[in-house]
Amino acid sequence: MSTSSTSSNISRRTLLKTSAGAATLAAAGTLGAPLIAQERSLKIGSYGGYFENSLKEHVYPKFTEATGIAVESVTQPNSSDWLVTMQQAASAGNVPADLSLFARDTMIKASRVGDLLKPLDTKAIPNLKYLDDYYAFTDTSGTLGVGAMSWFSAMVINPDEVQTPTSWADFWDTETFESSLGISKLYNSHFMDIIAATFFDGAATFETKDGVEAIIAKAAELKPNVALWWSAESQMEQSMKNLDVVGGMYYLDVANLMAADGFPIKAVFPKEGNPQDYGSWCLSDLSEKTGEAAEFINFSCEPSTQKLMSLMIGTAPLVSQEAAGLTDEEFAAVSGSPVIRPAYSAYLDQETFLKESWDKMLAGA
Amino acid sequence: MSVEATDPALAATGTQEAPARRVNRSLAGRIVFCAVVAMLCLLPFVMVLVISFGEKIEGAGWVFGFDLTNYRRFFVGADWPNSTSFLYLQKLGWSLNYAVIASVLAVVTAFPFTYFLTRLSRRAQTFWLVFLLSSLSLSEVFIVMGWDILLSARSGLPMVMQETGLTDWLKDVGFFPTLRDWGLASPRNVKFKTSVLATVLTMSYLVWPYAVILLYPALSRLDPALIEAARTMGARPWTVIRTVVIPSVKLALVGSVLLLFVFLLGTYVAVTVFAAPAQQTLAVSIYESVRGSTLNAPFGAAQSVILLVTAVVLLAIGQKLSTAGGRA
Repeated sequence: MSTSSTSSNISRRTLLKTSAGAATLAAAGTLGAPLIAQERSLKIGSYGGYFENSLKEHVYPKFTEATGIAVESVTQPNSSDWLVTMQQAASAGNVPADLSLFARDTMIKASRVGDLLKPLDTKAIPNLKYLDDYYAFTDTSGTLGVGAMSWFSAMVINPDEVQTPTSWADFWDTETFESSLGISKLYNSHFMDIIAATFFDGAATFETKDGVEAIIAKAAELKPNVALWWSAESQMEQSMKNLDVVGGMYYLDVANLMAADGFPIKAVFPKEGNPQDYGSWCLSDLSEKTGEAAEFINFSCEPSTQKLMSLMIGTAPLVSQEAAGLTDEEFAAVSGSPVIRPAYSAYLDQETFLKESWDKMLAGA
Repeated sequence: MSVEATDPALAATGTQEAPARRVNRSLAGRIVFCAVVAMLCLLPFVMVLVISFGEKIEGAGWVFGFDLTNYRRFFVGADWPNSTSFLYLQKLGWSLNYAVIASVLAVVTAFPFTYFLTRLSRRAQTFWLVFLLSSLSLSEVFIVMGWDILLSARSGLPMVMQETGLTDWLKDVGFFPTLRDWGLASPRNVKFKTSVLATVLTMSYLVWPYAVILLYPALSRLDPALIEAARTMGARPWTVIRTVVIPSVKLALVGSVLLLFVFLLGTYVAVTVFAAPAQQTLAVSIYESVRGSTLNAPFGAAQSVILLVTAVVLLAIGQKLSTAGGRA
């Protein structure tokens, strides 16, 4: 996920502030480093654009203030692409970033590839107690990733054009939605999880080949209603604004930002729910900043930091609404229920089969 | 080098030995040159070839190996022998389809333009050529962005057609359902995104300046006396073009089409923006395999090798046909 495109409005609004901040950072980087060689620092990767800018502007300075550790921000294109870069860098002996942000499936993939991630020092992260165990990913070598923030893909509609559906199944109604929906083109965008939750037995459906084929067949039935299979989120944003589509799936936070800017878009939690994915902080195997990394992750797990990220970046907190101290309105802008948890293991163990079946469905081959 | 000049013995026999030395030196130069070319051109290709035999590990990355499954998957799908799928052959088909149509379209439209360009004054010709050369500095991304705006529902041609009543007129005369059959209309209005038309138009626009630049030398060398002679003998302008101009620049025409065809096989941005998923090309699939979430570089490499082999085979056939035609 990334929130780069709608963010253009926000970036414009905060342009002056950001560039002033960037100038200060640059100055601190070039002047500060040689003067205070002892200063502790940490290179942190995150998805470029609005997302990275918000972290740089709102989160990292708070961390530096609290611990004295300087943060150098590194731009990641996304999870999986970054993993390729990390692999190449590791074989060349480089550390592009000490901490990187990986979605759960990419993190598990990195763990299986091996020698890419270094176990974290969980003893130095007491704030881990605020997070559900699910968000600390552990393999045989130790805890490789701790949840950073989470995000939803949600059902969206144009409230001026169509009535709010109560179920994802309503999208299959060709009377209402012929050639009107925008759905992600990527097989792992969790639309298959939505179908499994709506028409079948949820994640369990992915366990058998027949189950997967049934999901794909159901997706094929939706094809007449899909006007746009989007791969970049800006395509979906434009199409919603242009009335090329009047509904579909989109990122919850971006949809809410667009709605706040007055565009006719409404994010909906239908009765089956929306899929939730999350990013984890992972330490590069060659990094020597284990201590600094643990301090940063500890800071990131603090409920106040989770709240800060929800308010400033639009991510869903990994702690409860009460712990984070978010109002109902603030919480609804970034999160909701019910939650569809993606069938991560299927996306990994059967990735070739899932991708090719999905592509075949799209291509009609 | 300075040895020759300072050593009197060598200087004395220099007249006899110099040619041999020159041969040696040029041989060494040639070896260095070949090594550099091999490093720059051959090595990356060998890497791709080696990777294409690599082995994918489900849920993780890949390892080097000697595995032919990537090639088998290209022709019959990953699930073979349980089921057979021609998904990637279909993508290859679209790659060839777009590249052939767009390169022919570019050359066919650039030909009259270049022909009239060569009849202009020297000054005007220079202006146009500089203008076209500078337009090559626009990246594919910029060009696609421009066409994206031109063809979008709210900002481009569909809006113009709706506002001017052209869409309603099309509906009135009953042509609208035909447009829908061709995939050029939604229930509400005409649409060019996504469509084959938009993809092909953008691709041919992308290479159009190249087409002009490739045709220009041949057309400007064309002797005006030939055309004048034909005209004096009573041939109509169209007959002159058909029987004098086109035959004398035929090789340049075929050569341009072949070059632009190969260039367009790898188009990525235009296809991802303007082509529906069902009509996307091998280039997109290669990128998704290598940089996408499956991290399947070996399959991406296998697809690249097949695309390359196809291009070479088609080029060879094209070359054969054009030279055979030239002799006839």
